[in-house]
Amino acid sequence: MNESDHVLVVDDDRGIRELVGAYLEKQGLRVTLAANGREMRNALMHATPDLILLDIMMPGEDGFTLCRELRAGKHRAVPIVMLTARDDETDRVVGLELGADDYVPKPFAVRELLARIRAVLRRTRMLPPNLQVTEAAKLIAFGDWRLDTVGRHLLDADGVEVAMSGAEYRLLRVFLDHPQRVLSRDQLMGLTHGNDAEFFDRSIDLLVSRLRQRLGDGAREPRYIKTLRNEGYVFSAEVTILEGRTT
Amino acid sequence: MNRNWWPRSLYARLALILFAGLAAAQGLSVALTFTERDQATTNLMMGYVEREVASSVALLDLLPAAERPAWLPRLARRSYRFILGPGETVGAMPDEKLSAQIAHSIEQGIGRSYPLSVNGLGNEGRMQVHLRLTDGSPLTIDVQPMRGVPLSPWLPYMLAAQLAILAACCWFAVRQAVRPLRVLAEAADALGPDLRPVELPERGPSEVLRSARAFNAMQKRIAAYVDERVRILAAISHDLQTPITRMRLRVDMMDDDAQQPRLRADLEELQGLVKDGIGYARAMHGEREPARAIDLDAQLDSLVLDYRDSGSAVNLEGRIGAPVHTRPKALRRIVGNLVDNALRYGGGADIVAGRDRQGAVLIRVLDNGPGIPAGQLEAVFEPFFRLEASRNRDTGGTGLGLAIARQLAGSLGGTLTLHNRPEGGLEARLTLP
Repeated sequence: MNESDHVLVVDDDRGIRELVGAYLEKQGLRVTLAANGREMRNALMHATPDLILLDIMMPGEDGFTLCRELRAGKHRAVPIVMLTARDDETDRVVGLELGADDYVPKPFAVRELLARIRAVLRRTRMLPPNLQVTEAAKLIAFGDWRLDTVGRHLLDADGVEVAMSGAEYRLLRVFLDHPQRVLSRDQLMGLTHGNDAEFFDRSIDLLVSRLRQRLGDGAREPRYIKTLRNEGYVFSAEVTILEGRTT
Repeated sequence: MNRNWWPRSLYARLALILFAGLAAAQGLSVALTFTERDQATTNLMMGYVEREVASSVALLDLLPAAERPAWLPRLARRSYRFILGPGETVGAMPDEKLSAQIAHSIEQGIGRSYPLSVNGLGNEGRMQVHLRLTDGSPLTIDVQPMRGVPLSPWLPYMLAAQLAILAACCWFAVRQAVRPLRVLAEAADALGPDLRPVELPERGPSEVLRSARAFNAMQKRIAAYVDERVRILAAISHDLQTPITRMRLRVDMMDDDAQQPRLRADLEELQGLVKDGIGYARAMHGEREPARAIDLDAQLDSLVLDYRDSGSAVNLEGRIGAPVHTRPKALRRIVGNLVDNALRYGGGADIVAGRDRQGAVLIRVLDNGPGIPAGQLEAVFEPFFRLEASRNRDTGGTGLGLAIARQLAGSLGGTLTLHNRPEGGLEARLTLP
């Protein structure tokens, strides 16, 4: 990852703003701080950051307003990570609709925040330009299934909601972002778990088999996830975005 | 006093009283009409008999003896006829009141000119009056008194119809009076644990209207009180998040290896309290996600996998097998809270999914912890309730987990109960409709 990644932190609470800034700087990122919309616009005039960390609950112009403004303007390509005081689905829905790339509920551990920032940066960079990014999609269809990214569950052909574990969900998102492409175990691990190196090689195999089970996919003749010996896995079904924006 | 016959419902009581009263009144008036009519007919008949018999006897007396038989049929009436001859003289005076009256009125009409004797025949009030005409020949008046006027055949039907109309009116009137009570009871029942007011329609007769208004106002007041309480809890919890976030950041960045883990643990406890505070406020507030068809097995399975991925000993047995219509996030929260409790006090959790004897979904969460004293199995559902001995503050519970779980279980139409397992440990039983 790029050492000189530049993050713009927008939060009205001075303590949080400065602490996050100090931590990110310590981790080798360049940081600019802004207390409100005016300061944010000011900062954007001087330099385009690689990522904007945006608090939702702010007096005056709140994070949603600023997010909408950013997505409509010339900085629309800059990834946005939203900070919210509420672990609330409505916030996530609104955030996704406005085009936020991730969403971190307060209070958070700084390591968690850093991991999310790095994951978003990596995602926006690693993908070849011709691939679709489903990050901002609300409903993604493949085979007999639809994935609701707001509720983080599957819907089967009859519309019955089928829950997934967090790990299965993350793995499926990685597959949906890279359909018809061979993904090695290392790549899958990196994309699924971020920087956590606690996972072993085999744990991806276990996770894939769980996901197959969840999708009703057999290992012998899989419809969705195919195994390529010594290479990794391929998501072989057609992926369509039904609702939400495509990047 | 044995009052088993007295119906229990107000509806039946009112209907019974009204119907009995009205039916009695109706019966009395029918009886009165009949008596009145009977008397009037009798009086009429007496006067008639007095005059008619007198003139017929006078006529027969005047006629030459040879012409008399020809006149007899013309002089006969429905209740009497004339016989030329002595008739049957055996028998006592009839003791029936009507016959006595008739005899009396015949005597009144002709007795002064023709001395007569009366004797009864048979037992239906029939009698014969014997006299002698002026030429000495005997004449008998055979009287068969008419008993009132015969009843029309439709009269019983008429009476039945009247009673039926009465019963229908009673039923309708009582229903009118009792229905608002039922609606009120239903509305009060519907004001369930989430305290979401059910507005009564403000219409109908004035008493009902007034009750409905008072009930609605009361509901609003209750909702406002609860709302305020919950809002305060939510506001405090919410406002605590910013300072906690700051502290969290400071702790994360500090270099003191000895203090950092402790401070972090303290903050996590505080954070848990805030989270549960908000969760409780939301559960009380009835923040509603829509119900939908979910695969409950996948829901439980994914929950268990999430726990296992974070290193907790949680197992799942059993399957439901068919989609269930419910609110998935509320359900996940309930089971999550129960599992958290089991992990906190029992070190591990076993989830057993299945159906009870009535076919309702039954999810049991079992642990091997110390259990709860039998007398406090209900009390632990109170917000912020803590057990003194076995489950104390050191274990880090907020005292809201079970309160939230029960609140949500109620809002799903289910029940949540705790039981001590005979083999030791606690069993939480969640039943869904």
